[in-house]
Amino acid sequence: MTQTAQIPRASAHAPEGGERIIEIDGLNKWFGDFHVLKDIDMSVNRGEVVVVIGPSGSGKSTLIRCINRLEEHQEGAIVVDGTRLTDDVRNIDLIRRETGMVFQQFNLFPHLTVMENITLAPIRVRKWKTSKAEERAMYFLEKVGIPEQAQKYPGQLSGGQQQRVAIARALTMEPKVMLFDEPTSALDPEVIGEVLEVMVNLAKEGMTMVVVTHEMGFAREVGDRVIFMDAGQIVEVGSPEHFFQNPTEERTRGFLSKIL
Amino acid sequence: MEMIPDRLPPARERGAPAWLRRNLFHGPVNSVVSLLVGFVLLSAVSSLVRWTLTGAAWAPIWSNMKLLAVYRYPADLLWRPVVALGVILLLLGLGAGLSKRAGKGVIVGGVFWWFTGATFVITALAIAFWPSVRLPWAIASGMALAGYGAGLRVPALVRIQAWSWAVGLPVVLILLYGLGGEGPMEVVRTTEWGGFLLTLVLAGVGIAVSFPLGILLALGRRSDLPAIKWFCIGVIELVRGAPLITWLFIASLMVPLLLDVSPDSIPALARALVAITLFSSAYMAENVRGGLQSVPSGQGEAARALGLSGWQTTRLIVLPQALRAVIPAIVGQAIGLFKDTSLVFIVGLFDFFEIGRKVIPSQPDSLQYAGGVLLEVSLFMAAVYWFFSYRMSMASRQLEKELGVGER
Repeated sequence: MTQTAQIPRASAHAPEGGERIIEIDGLNKWFGDFHVLKDIDMSVNRGEVVVVIGPSGSGKSTLIRCINRLEEHQEGAIVVDGTRLTDDVRNIDLIRRETGMVFQQFNLFPHLTVMENITLAPIRVRKWKTSKAEERAMYFLEKVGIPEQAQKYPGQLSGGQQQRVAIARALTMEPKVMLFDEPTSALDPEVIGEVLEVMVNLAKEGMTMVVVTHEMGFAREVGDRVIFMDAGQIVEVGSPEHFFQNPTEERTRGFLSKIL
Repeated sequence: MEMIPDRLPPARERGAPAWLRRNLFHGPVNSVVSLLVGFVLLSAVSSLVRWTLTGAAWAPIWSNMKLLAVYRYPADLLWRPVVALGVILLLLGLGAGLSKRAGKGVIVGGVFWWFTGATFVITALAIAFWPSVRLPWAIASGMALAGYGAGLRVPALVRIQAWSWAVGLPVVLILLYGLGGEGPMEVVRTTEWGGFLLTLVLAGVGIAVSFPLGILLALGRRSDLPAIKWFCIGVIELVRGAPLITWLFIASLMVPLLLDVSPDSIPALARALVAITLFSSAYMAENVRGGLQSVPSGQGEAARALGLSGWQTTRLIVLPQALRAVIPAIVGQAIGLFKDTSLVFIVGLFDFFEIGRKVIPSQPDSLQYAGGVLLEVSLFMAAVYWFFSYRMSMASRQLEKELGVGER
């Protein structure tokens, strides 16, 4: 590839043959006059784990927040599980029901117990009976390893436990896709491992995941594809092996040399 | 390495002498100030006690108790406001009993017993001194106990609790106002209402209406729809821009003018209620808005990401957190409203304060005393206002504790 002053534009479409669950074409977004996402083409197949990396301010969080309309985009198309994101509130609600999200700051509801945090949406949105919601909640609390914390309030838990509750909360809605927005960035170093372990297990069970993270170990272990973003663009896409052994783009190499 | 066991602090840092030294006699300046303040307080309290017991003329307050309580409300219909109080105590008692049985919280129970205790005292006084209202007060006391007992015994009543208020409050109004015709349920026009009854009606309705109205104004002010947003901002800023006394004047003079009706066609009570409620709502809205701003945006995002609708997010996630953050401000506003009702003399109403200020001192038995009885009445009124205000502030602190503000 020839060296140019411009950052090359890469498209990050999923391999052919898979079942597309997220399809993004020509996505552009501005915050005021600031062009934060530029001509993003990307898709995710069912069962894929896509890891998005890049320097802070590169737009990677904004990108996944566009997928469930926490951010509104101005140009381009986003289709999740066959539903196209438009201004239609019904479509937005439909997509949000099928996409679970885990935030950097956990965002548990501090005035509700762990159990209430998890069962709120299944009861109010999915219209499950309380008994069914609680049963499913316990199933996922066991899965993330903290069933004994069900009656506590979030403030009584450690950061790692809170993030695991947040994952259980998203999973109990039985989403088709899980979006992770820097899930370990606000955690103390000694508890990052327990959250990553939950995520690795989830990936191995075949959950479709889009993960914004700085945890290169996670990307290497379970990532099917890695997307590198810089300045609002997708710069390079590839398998973890490609990425960590011989990235082609200068920007990618520069970034990786700083964090590895 | 060996672990060092915990030890107590040195003896001079413990107990009452240490507390005194630390808090009152810490250095020469503190010691002098402490002694001076102590002396002034002591002499003030002792002369107040002496005056209260020997010099003060309490008789006019005692003999004019009916005026202070209800003003011109017909004497033969006094059972109605008393039974109305009984209805409220019955409802409160039901809530207190139910929450006691369910092992939930002490707030309703605390408020209930505080006012039921006061009712017992008044019932005892009535039995001893006021034969005409003996039975109604006994009934009110009985209703309080019946409500509490029912709540304690029958947990299933929790299902009708909300309905019981929806039925009970109209019953209270009907008891106060009447249904019409002659006889026991004849209409008592609001111009006859007064005294503490009127103060309670103004404060009760004012607080009950301005709380939800304030929440709506606060939510409206944050709305994405410009029309709603600017309307709410306009109302809030306009109403807060002038003193309550101005709004009472405007309500009593301008509203009839604007609506092109005679001033008498809108009862003074209604005009005062509108002014007080609007005024309080604007302040309530700003308190609530402060709470809304204190809720991190991530809370709403997490709720929306789970698929909750905008209204569900507001009602289940944002508002509960916003309100608990501003409980002290909200209760402070309620206490303020309760005391601000004393301004309704502007529109010609005879509330508790106006009766104490104007009516009691001009009664024949008050005029016998050379110095008048304004001081005595003022102290009495201050005590009554304090009794209610303090109870509200106590409930606020309990509520904060129960909801774990600052702990979770």
